Amino acid sequence: MNKVKIKSKNLNVHYGQKQALFDVNLDLNEKEVTALIGPSGCGKSTFIRCINRMNDVIDICKVTGNIEIDGVEVNDENLDVVSLRERVGMVFQKPNPFPKSIYENISYGPKIHGKGDTKSELDEIVENSLKKSALWEEVKDRLDEPGTSLSGGQQQRLCIARAISVNPEVILMDEPCSALDPIATAKIEELIDDLKKTYTIVIVTHSMAQAVRVSQKTGFFHLGKLIEVGKTEKIFKNPDNKMTQDYITGRFG
Amino acid sequence: MNLVLIFLIIIFSSSLFFYGRSKTKSLAISGNIKLNALPKFYGYYLVLWCSIPALVFLLIWSLFEPVIIKSIIIDTAAKQGAIFNDKNEANLVYEKIKAIHLGTYLGELDSILKESALAYAKFINIFTNSKVVLIFGIIIASTLYSLKKIKNNNKARDDVEVILKGLLFVSSLIAILTTLGIILSLLFESIKFFSVINIFDYLFGTNWSPQRAFVRDASSITPAEYQELKDAFGFVPLIAGTGFIAFLAMLVAVPVGLFSGIYMAEYASLRVRRFSKPVIEILAGIPTVVYGFFAALTVGPFFRQVGENFGLTVSSESALAAGLIMGIMIIPYVSSLSDDVINSVPQSLRDGSYAVGATKSETIKKVVIPAALPGIIGSILLAVSRAIGETMIVVMAAGLAANLTINPLESTTTITTQIVMILVGDQEFDSPKTQSAFALGLTLFIATLILNFIAQRAVKKYREKYD
Amino acid sequence: MTKEERLKKRHSAEKRFRFYGLASIFVALLFVLILVQNIFSKGSSAFKKTVIKTEVFYNQELLELKNGASEKDIINADFYEVMIESLIKSFPAKNIDEENELIRLFSADAEYEIKKAFLNNNNLIGEKIILDLTASDDIDQLHKGNYPRDLPEDRRRISNFQLAIYDNFVENDKISKNFNNYYFTKGDSRDPELAGIGGAIVGSIYSILICLLLAFPVAVLASIYLEEFAPKNKITDFIEININNLAAVPSIVYGLLALQILLATIQLPRSTPLVAGITLALMTLPRIIIPCRASLKAVPPSIREGALAVGASKFQSVFHHVVPLAMPGTLSGTIIGLAQALGETAPLILIGMVAFVVDIPSSPIDPSSSLPVQVYLWSESAERGFVEKTSATIMILLTFLMMMNFLAVYLRQKFEKRWN
Repeated sequence: MNKVKIKSKNLNVHYGQKQALFDVNLDLNEKEVTALIGPSGCGKSTFIRCINRMNDVIDICKVTGNIEIDGVEVNDENLDVVSLRERVGMVFQKPNPFPKSIYENISYGPKIHGKGDTKSELDEIVENSLKKSALWEEVKDRLDEPGTSLSGGQQQRLCIARAISVNPEVILMDEPCSALDPIATAKIEELIDDLKKTYTIVIVTHSMAQAVRVSQKTGFFHLGKLIEVGKTEKIFKNPDNKMTQDYITGRFG
Repeated sequence: MNLVLIFLIIIFSSSLFFYGRSKTKSLAISGNIKLNALPKFYGYYLVLWCSIPALVFLLIWSLFEPVIIKSIIIDTAAKQGAIFNDKNEANLVYEKIKAIHLGTYLGELDSILKESALAYAKFINIFTNSKVVLIFGIIIASTLYSLKKIKNNNKARDDVEVILKGLLFVSSLIAILTTLGIILSLLFESIKFFSVINIFDYLFGTNWSPQRAFVRDASSITPAEYQELKDAFGFVPLIAGTGFIAFLAMLVAVPVGLFSGIYMAEYASLRVRRFSKPVIEILAGIPTVVYGFFAALTVGPFFRQVGENFGLTVSSESALAAGLIMGIMIIPYVSSLSDDVINSVPQSLRDGSYAVGATKSETIKKVVIPAALPGIIGSILLAVSRAIGETMIVVMAAGLAANLTINPLESTTTITTQIVMILVGDQEFDSPKTQSAFALGLTLFIATLILNFIAQRAVKKYREKYD
Repeated sequence: MTKEERLKKRHSAEKRFRFYGLASIFVALLFVLILVQNIFSKGSSAFKKTVIKTEVFYNQELLELKNGASEKDIINADFYEVMIESLIKSFPAKNIDEENELIRLFSADAEYEIKKAFLNNNNLIGEKIILDLTASDDIDQLHKGNYPRDLPEDRRRISNFQLAIYDNFVENDKISKNFNNYYFTKGDSRDPELAGIGGAIVGSIYSILICLLLAFPVAVLASIYLEEFAPKNKITDFIEININNLAAVPSIVYGLLALQILLATIQLPRSTPLVAGITLALMTLPRIIIPCRASLKAVPPSIREGALAVGASKFQSVFHHVVPLAMPGTLSGTIIGLAQALGETAPLILIGMVAFVVDIPSSPIDPSSSLPVQVYLWSESAERGFVEKTSATIMILLTFLMMMNFLAVYLRQKFEKRWN
């Protein structure tokens, strides 16, 4: 068993008057894929957005409780969000490449963080990131074309490459395959399997089959509460909680 | 007279409404016919048929009557022996004849005038009588026609709707008519102007001083006279002055407008935004004459004072004052539009940038603005077109003399200022000086048209990309 | 550069950027404040006028009137002698020059004011009464503190003798400030103390009413056509392009249009609110059509479908349901368009509204001025009194505009339905 990378204690989130997360306690292990499942609006996306403080972008969102990465508190006001996000990358539900060239899409992160001062260093980062995201072979001859000209699945892998480019420790994935066709999905899943050797990955997914395929650990959220968490095998074969049972057998959701 | 006619038409046609309604009602009841529309539509039908042809006729008649009478009267006066050297004299005589007819003429009467006044009275009488007769004829004919139509139980609602739809269509055509009117009225005088002044001499001449242009006889201009004329109508200093002041204005408006647009779209809390957006838009609502007054009486003298303190000669009508104030006027055009444009950049792009650890300003500079660039450029172009078409600020605060200069402390003039200067007060048509104002207007119209066209295309393209 | 240094630099760049944004907004707000403050501080004194308490003697010998004279006789009578006689008695003058200087302290309307008092009470023959006579512009400005008195005499418009009289008047409490009724009721004048915006206000009201009557119905009908009935074809596209371009055509071009078509071709009377109203209507039309269409577009299709589903015709669904729902937005767009028209100056200059008009127009075909044109005219005048009058006129104009804009916002917020 790997050591714990991210630890949340009594995490609560409010959107204005509405509470979205209730006392979530969840440990996420290093170099492992953790899948978060549950019906829509159950708070799983909210939870991962707490890890890299993306909720800061939303004015009315208030986060209380603790999240630690390697024992360092994330919700600390003095913590620099920018360097936090350098360590915790994110891939979104819909591919969102910048309306720039493929090359610029990936070099953007390293440039702002001052990694890769020379052109050759940058070239190397871009190449490595694209290779890691299994896109290199497809795009190596057209790095100058806009990122938006790629297909949906390629765009999503471009976004994964963009996340990898700053060499993070954690990658958060918010339903990364929900806008993709099955073939593109399969490619991304393969990629995730490969990436977990280097990174700690948290993936939010709607598809239970996907959770089974890619994750080692699964957490089930319902109405803002973490109902059950455990080894993926156990959750899907023999859950402790009745509600989990009902959800994975498709009685609601 | 016309008012009485309109009144009669309205009264008559509205009474037809009640007639048509009750008639069809009784028809339906007694004959047990199923009507295709509610009885009131038969009423409407009659009203429209009875009033529209008559009103349209009246309108067309009223437009042409004065012109026709005028040419007839001037003809008769000429036959009586009146001599007109040009159009202005003829107009004058015509006005005199009109005044005699109305009994307000105080000057001396001669036999020609007397005779013509009698002829005028005669023609007015004939025209008025025939107008009344024709209008009643039209009303009767169209009423009979429509009454006959109703008897056949036609689909009154459909017919009414077709007519109304026509009315709606005609209303929307007014926009085209206005454009046509603008183009024709500008072209008409401009062509006359360019028949005297070669268009290339106008476009590339470097001297503008229309007050020097006297033409005794426009139909025969000697080469020497033309040399002098050519020197009075050179467009280059005007476009240079206009461009220069617009450039100064953009120096103020673009950074201030863009930064406030960015701040409002990206940083401001809802409260700040709710307060500052309307206050900045006040700047666009203040009449330009107010800016002109402020620029001419406060800012201009202030700059001269400051300049004196530094040992600089600053014209009290400096391009700087006009440009600065114009720039402030334009701020909201840039800020509101770029605020809108930035707001329509999808949030997912920002999220993508934050997620790799960019700060807010890095995200704005490297992701949001490049994405919004076509829209922002469009809004800046619209602002430029605003600046070159702006009149009052430059009329009041910029100079009148056409200087070719790039010193913002000197005075310079603009296209719009010259149009106003040439046309203010009494102007005689048919002189190259007056016509030059229309040539300037045409140039301005074309320039703003091109700018707007490009800008609207850019903004539209951009909108389509993210909608 | 270490990582920490780099981060620090990036954060200060962030702060700087944010500051630029805030500073820009601040600059814009500051300018609004400066402008308003400047105009108000210059203009507010125009609402008061300086009057001099003067004893007027209706001397029988100088008047060809009897007590109880008819109104017509009084109007035709000459009060000049009475005025001169009364004015020069208000302060001891040694010679004719000094007398002239004394008389110049009063407005050119002093004779009329004396006559007016007699009109109110025609039994004043042989009586002495105290009247508040309007002071000349120079004294008015001096008394309001707008005119520097410490300049050397040859650079002053007011002589030392006049200053002495003024001081004497002040000492004896003869000078005071009254409500400036002339400013609101009179037409234009060459004398600032007698100039008013009555004519300009009436001219503006006529122009805007004509503009409203012409532009509003046409704009609404055109918007309804384009939004609800127009087929998707080239003609419709062409109309739309036209409207968008017209909205951006510089206003002065509309002045040229009016000059050529309305004045030169149709020969409507120059300098009149009628022509101004038509010109402004043409200019405002596209600016009203655009918000009108937006508010029609905002009515959801479900409303139209609902009406069609109960068997209404297309026309009925539009006129019974869509148009009433779009009305608040349409009205507020119209009011904002009219507010712009009210402040418009350049085209009106071209159609001759810069004429010097003393009379208040009694109909839309009388020569007239308008508020913004009056601002332009007065701002060109050299007299100090006109600076004050111009600023005050701007205050009035801005007040009108503000009220119209508030009305527009109110209409929208109060009556507009939100569709979500």
